[in-house]
Amino acid sequence: MEWISKQFPTRVIALMPVAIAINIVLGAIVQQALKLPIYLDSIGTILVGVLAGPLAGALTGILANLIWGYLLPAPIGTTTIGPFAITAGVIGLLAGLWGYLGMFRSRRTDVGRTLVAAVVALVLVGGLAYYTYSRAYASAENFQNATGFDPAFIARSQAFFFIVMIVFVVLIAWALLLRRDLGAIFALVAGLVTGIVAAIVSAPIAAVVFGGVTGSGTDALVAAFRAAGSSLYEATLKQGLLSDPLDKMVTSFVVFLIVTSLSRRYIARFPNGERMLGPEEE
Amino acid sequence: MGSGCLAPRRSRTANRQGHAGIGSASQHPSDEESAVAARTLPDYVLRVPTGHYRALNPTTKLVIAVAEAALAFVTGAWLGPVVILAAVTASAAWAGVLRQLGVVAAITLPVVASIMLVNTFLLPGAHDPIVQLGPFAPTWSGLAFGLQVTLRLLAMSLALALVYLTTHMDDLLADLERRGLGRRAIFVVGAALQMVPRMVDRGSEIVDSQRARGMASEGRFWQRARGVVPLVGPMIFSALIEVEEQTMALEARAFTAAGRRTVLRRLPDSPRQRALRWGLGLLTFVAILGATTHSLRLP
Repeated sequence: MEWISKQFPTRVIALMPVAIAINIVLGAIVQQALKLPIYLDSIGTILVGVLAGPLAGALTGILANLIWGYLLPAPIGTTTIGPFAITAGVIGLLAGLWGYLGMFRSRRTDVGRTLVAAVVALVLVGGLAYYTYSRAYASAENFQNATGFDPAFIARSQAFFFIVMIVFVVLIAWALLLRRDLGAIFALVAGLVTGIVAAIVSAPIAAVVFGGVTGSGTDALVAAFRAAGSSLYEATLKQGLLSDPLDKMVTSFVVFLIVTSLSRRYIARFPNGERMLGPEEE
Repeated sequence: MGSGCLAPRRSRTANRQGHAGIGSASQHPSDEESAVAARTLPDYVLRVPTGHYRALNPTTKLVIAVAEAALAFVTGAWLGPVVILAAVTASAAWAGVLRQLGVVAAITLPVVASIMLVNTFLLPGAHDPIVQLGPFAPTWSGLAFGLQVTLRLLAMSLALALVYLTTHMDDLLADLERRGLGRRAIFVVGAALQMVPRMVDRGSEIVDSQRARGMASEGRFWQRARGVVPLVGPMIFSALIEVEEQTMALEARAFTAAGRRTVLRRLPDSPRQRALRWGLGLLTFVAILGATTHSLRLP
């Protein structure tokens, strides 16, 4: 009982609506306006998870999706997001676990070690970005008739994808090489694991509720996999495994940047503050 | 200067809220008059819902919607969703929000189009082509599957949308609090609902300020995309800093005090509505049980 009540002091109760709003507003910009094959709708969930604990994170995620889906008027409110509340809850739970493990802690170190880390990051991010890119855009063109996307639209989505990736790589390089912060790698790994779990949880939801499509930029992927002969569940799982790990890596990294930019005093007052901060730096 | 800047924003927010709560804000007969009233008067002044459906207790409407959404998924491929869609449309017509419900349905159109196209053309294992169009072969079974998914999705979406179209969120939250939902949950949901339009407004304020400093926020896509970081950064951080003040404000208002808050506004309820709620709950439970044990077979 104490484990539960410790996660919900007034400070966390005040943070949760803000986190929910961040999820909804950023998610709406990325999914509905930019039509990227990523979602960016769990920044608030992961933030609450690492600062307050697994239950607070899970509740934030679930409420964010339910409010987004069913309580907000159009055009921001989209009913298709609601059923993914289950996934959002799992993401929040995992974020709480990462918080307990101190995965989002800032770890300043020397240049030699961050250079090694930078190579690891480049391989991880580069490989994943290439994988997503080659599947999403190479075949989308072929199936534009089937998906209703016109070619001009694919070019636009492609441009946004490039911009996000460039911004992402520049930010990682900045964190590792200029700030010499090894913590960035931990955050990226946490994001990768979260993404894989999220994909596995989302696949049956997308398959059962929507017949595989949700109206976001990732539908072209589902269409491509269906055309390649996958079953409905397989197609949505493959689509999820393309989008989710990359999405959650970007999200985790953004959360890492946020928590390391906030003052120690601000972080320390949250239930998980001490584990987030680690020992005082010299 | 601060207040001068804020005034138009505030009225814009009021507009949006007026729109959101169109169903319950007025006792005037004409839509136009009620829209004007919703714009010019604060939410709590006019709160006499008109019409039989709108006057139902908010919790009753919520239970109806959740039951309909759940039933749409467990009562057969065709019969359940069609019946529920008809019921939702009839209730919307009864409440006089058919047009707004149409808007909600229109927003799901891209998803519906995707569902129909992907399934009609690409359903794996379907071998009953309607026609052969070069490499593409739309199939009957794909079309049927797409239609089923669409019907279910529309039934679920519209049933739940009808709640916010006919109910003021404050009413719903107040009623749920009276029924025992904790004040923390009420605060989180209520504050989040207010925070979203405020954050959107703040976003446009930030864009204006950055533009005043020379940021190009219009034009080609990559130019606009470059503006995302100077927009999102201040938006997130200012919201997070606000948490500090909100915490103190809540503590100062005895948010953590022991005991329950007294809810002064009692929304009308009746034994018949209570019976309806329990009946629907039971029906949904039985239907889900039937569907999971495969003893309920409907077309």
